[in-house]
Amino acid sequence: MGRKLLLEKAHVEGIRYFDVYRREGGYRSVEKALKTMTQDEIVEEVKKSGLRGRGGAGFPAGMKWGFIAKPEGVPRHLVCNADESEPGTFKDRYLMEFIPHLLIEGLIVASYALGSHDTYIYIRGEYAWIPDILEQAIAEAKANGFLGKNILGTGFDCEIYVHRGAGAYICGEETALIESLEGKRGNPRIKPPFPAIKGAWGRPTVVNNVETLAAVVPIINEGGEEFAKIGVGKSTGTKLISACGNINKPGVYEIDMTISVEEFIYSDEYCGGIPNGKRLKACIPGGSSVPILPANLLLKTAKGETRYMNYESLSDGGFATGSMMGSGGFIVLDEDQCVVRNTYSLARFYRHESCGQCSPCREGTGWMEKVLLRLEKGEGKISDIDLLWDIQSKIEGNTICPLGDAASWPVAAAIRHFRDEFEWHVTHAAEAQTRNYGLAHYADAIHVPV
Amino acid sequence: MVQFSEDKLAKVNEIIARYPEGKQKSALLPLLHLAQENFGGWLSAETMDYVASLLQIEPIEVYEVATFYSMYNTNPVGKYVFEVCQTGPCMLNGSDNIIAYISQTLGIKPGETTADGLFTLKTAECLGACGYAPMMQLGKHYREHLTKEKVDTIIAECRTAAAANN
Repeated sequence: MGRKLLLEKAHVEGIRYFDVYRREGGYRSVEKALKTMTQDEIVEEVKKSGLRGRGGAGFPAGMKWGFIAKPEGVPRHLVCNADESEPGTFKDRYLMEFIPHLLIEGLIVASYALGSHDTYIYIRGEYAWIPDILEQAIAEAKANGFLGKNILGTGFDCEIYVHRGAGAYICGEETALIESLEGKRGNPRIKPPFPAIKGAWGRPTVVNNVETLAAVVPIINEGGEEFAKIGVGKSTGTKLISACGNINKPGVYEIDMTISVEEFIYSDEYCGGIPNGKRLKACIPGGSSVPILPANLLLKTAKGETRYMNYESLSDGGFATGSMMGSGGFIVLDEDQCVVRNTYSLARFYRHESCGQCSPCREGTGWMEKVLLRLEKGEGKISDIDLLWDIQSKIEGNTICPLGDAASWPVAAAIRHFRDEFEWHVTHAAEAQTRNYGLAHYADAIHVPV
Repeated sequence: MVQFSEDKLAKVNEIIARYPEGKQKSALLPLLHLAQENFGGWLSAETMDYVASLLQIEPIEVYEVATFYSMYNTNPVGKYVFEVCQTGPCMLNGSDNIIAYISQTLGIKPGETTADGLFTLKTAECLGACGYAPMMQLGKHYREHLTKEKVDTIIAECRTAAAANN
């Protein structure tokens, strides 16, 4: 049983309300930070913790905070990225629904550290019932002196506002999010300038994911060094994983990043194995954008070593034989799933979500979708597989924001590891309409149902 | 004529006040949500022009935003809009069957509205409920772990609610 830093109290009855949350030790980090620490000391503590951004990119949070410009007389802003939209990812929703005060607490400490007096939570529009939960938590915190003017008598003023998006995956990209916050289309900006220099309304801005900000609470309470002792290597602290697809127990799990992928999938504490005695075929371990891995490369690295649920181990082997931790959206495919179909579904998603600014992404995502659809329907040619490879390679790296890469990687990885299945869709076109390809050389050798 | 009530206008001003002075355009997304809720579930040109006037911005600035985000309806929709997720994890759990079943039951294809104006069926891309798939959004809330039986129940609920309102 791993240690829990974020969700330990998530199921205490009434934890959604201030009084219960406070009684369970909530808001101590605000008292400690505002009354006994300087802004720089907090940033230093977060740096020491090794906390990496939990939205998907894994950039060190303390370093990001350290970049914020402090020009005289210009307000700075902290913006919480709650635009959780990466397919397979629903961890931030869970945290905000069940333990909203943890996010508010982290936001107050981070706002103080960054000097943000007006802080925003940008939440995806479809999570339409959650702003009420957050606004209630904000109102309670304010009524108890933890928000508003002169917080706890320290002279620090801070307000938190909830800003609802309206359905656009791209707004999870921080500069698109800022555009959207300003009331515009979510078209990403060219960087530099980075938001830390010129962000919302041209002011220095830090954008952090929900889980990242929540993790600030245990870092301040226990110290950055203590936080860094949990986990392994550069994967410090705990990570929320949202598990879905073909598993017995889909849901959100807080893991300490020392457990193996095998344990995560098969142990009853986590996913509880694959339903109906089916075998594992493949997995997308970090949200739809990261490379899909066949079972054999998922459970063990190409070198034959055990693969673990952390940043380094999941990316071991690079894109040739590894994947990424990403956002922690863990999607499991059993032996009955079709990789071509799954790839088509994701390609359709990226076509739908491309903002249309850069032609490689705008045109390329639609093109990939079309080619994948004809392969899926048994109307493709062998040369279509090479065409797909060619298209994805020309999107990757050629767009303003990472959506282009995110659209390319799933297609590239599917062809890299499952080319035989794509070819079978061409050579056995009729059969492919009536059954799935099943398992091949990449079957999970470890768990054979009896 | 499109016009918010006094209550709603107070809400509009409260929303605008969340953003820096002179940056009232930032209130556009929340105001469009409010307008859509209040003026028949969709944004007509008249509604968008009204929102533009409230924020003192050009109508085109509203149109380009309203057409960018998938949650804004720029055409009329039914009283109940079923937005069924069809992306990866939902697909792995049979969302295609759910979409086909709703389509067959209501006699409409995705994107269409029933003749009585009660139901619109839409497909949606990932709504962040992958662990509770298949699912759909209905108004402000999610309906998860969908089965054919559950879909029947939801449709019946909607019909009952609509009849009670008439």
